[in-house]
Amino acid sequence: MDTATHMLRTGRRGPLFEVQMALRDLRSSAQRIDLAWSLAWHDVVSRYRGSILGPLWITLSMGVMVLGIGLLWGELFGVELRTFIPFVALGIVFFGTVTTTINEGCDTFVQAAGMLSQTALPMFTFVWRTVLRNLINLGHHLVIVLAVLAYFGIWRTANYPVALLGLVFLVINVAWISMLVAIISARFRDIPQIVQSVTQAAAIMTPVFWLPDRISARHRVILDLNPFYHLLEAVRAPLLGRGVAPHTYLFLAGLAVVGWALTFGLFANTRRRIVHYL
Amino acid sequence: MKAPPVSISCQGLTLRFPVYGVDAKSLKKHLAKITVGGRLGRSHGTTEVTAISNLNLELKAGDRLGLVGHNGSGKTTLLRALSGAYEPDEGAIEVQGHISALLDLSLGIDPSATGMDNIRLRGRIAGLSSKEIDERLPEIAEFSGLGPFLEMPVKTYSAGMQARLAFAAATAVEADVLLMDEWIAVGDADFQKIAHKRLLKLVERAGILVLASHDVELLRLYCNKVMRLEGGVASEVTPIKNLDALLAA
Repeated sequence: MDTATHMLRTGRRGPLFEVQMALRDLRSSAQRIDLAWSLAWHDVVSRYRGSILGPLWITLSMGVMVLGIGLLWGELFGVELRTFIPFVALGIVFFGTVTTTINEGCDTFVQAAGMLSQTALPMFTFVWRTVLRNLINLGHHLVIVLAVLAYFGIWRTANYPVALLGLVFLVINVAWISMLVAIISARFRDIPQIVQSVTQAAAIMTPVFWLPDRISARHRVILDLNPFYHLLEAVRAPLLGRGVAPHTYLFLAGLAVVGWALTFGLFANTRRRIVHYL
Repeated sequence: MKAPPVSISCQGLTLRFPVYGVDAKSLKKHLAKITVGGRLGRSHGTTEVTAISNLNLELKAGDRLGLVGHNGSGKTTLLRALSGAYEPDEGAIEVQGHISALLDLSLGIDPSATGMDNIRLRGRIAGLSSKEIDERLPEIAEFSGLGPFLEMPVKTYSAGMQARLAFAAATAVEADVLLMDEWIAVGDADFQKIAHKRLLKLVERAGILVLASHDVELLRLYCNKVMRLEGGVASEVTPIKNLDALLAA
């Protein structure tokens, strides 16, 4: 931390000081974001080392899943494939990014135990590593998204700038959730299981595989209070050529502010302890 | 801008480790403890181990400090604190100069990646840019003596080859402050000889060396000062010639 050639560590306490140190960690991780980027790329590449298609497997396996689910469920639900396949494709891709970033967040610090216990690397670096790794994977999935948009002729009506804005909201929110579970998982080893159950439940409760307009007005609260729905809607709706409800942005902005305040507060409080949890 | 001279300064350094046992890591046990008012576990809070207590240390350029002490006396903890990984509970640590810690040779080694990729990864962690790594790669590769094996995954290496790779990569970064745990005796006799030479050069180039070791001969070879740790309490720093007296004490 600090600078490359100066390091100061003190036993000073106090909430203000802890917050300052946490901010400093954040700042130095930003200065060395290229390190997080290298680590993230390394993760992606090493996962597919030895395979012929390499990271293209990410694209391929996602493509198979989208096609399979799109065809089968579209038939089962009696929905027109022209609307259903793009809907499911976008849903699986972006919802998948949300849930894997959160699930893998559980391992962020646990996996970095070796490095954290003998270097002064910023802790945030490892949070960005997890987030960036999933963004790289998302980049591979975008091939599917674009293919589906092109095949069904939706690419002309899609609103890309608004979708990008939604993606920014998505990343900001997913990053804090990922970091929050990273800290708690380092302390309590039960958390990864709980997190996985929650994201699994979310996959059922969120309109990824079913159309949101199937839900009656009486049950709309399931959507309105579901953060995953808003995260998904902010990106998916504009790509499908639909508008995003203003209260979705309001919800996501509020979620980001409250979530980051909570996570950052927890980080400031536990920063000096995290390395001992591991 | 001229950087301030290389130095290490610890004032009243105290490090306590909370012991989070297997028990403490289960959420259920944690919650159970709360509901039954602590009767299940220890009364409240966590057990703490004081690993270093009230340690004062001043080192300047040219100092080569040997740390001696029994297992668990706090040597490694002190090195980790000096590397910036541990936050003091009391007191302060200040280090001027680029720190390189050779505490664990396997830091950042990914067994399924090739030797070359591992060298790059290690370099990135140490703070080198891709360009700097590219400049050093030939030298590191040559030193490791692994030749064509560098293009193969590290998991296919023998233990000695892995050690060669790790050592070559870890010592490729110049440092002002070099922290070493134990003597990293690696590889076959040939490699040990050139490793020794390389370490001597690194030690010469580094402003300060802090070396934890049980090997009296090596301490005499590399260090000019020595400090003994006993249960986290440090002795005075004395010249290396007093090593026998210090160990006998």
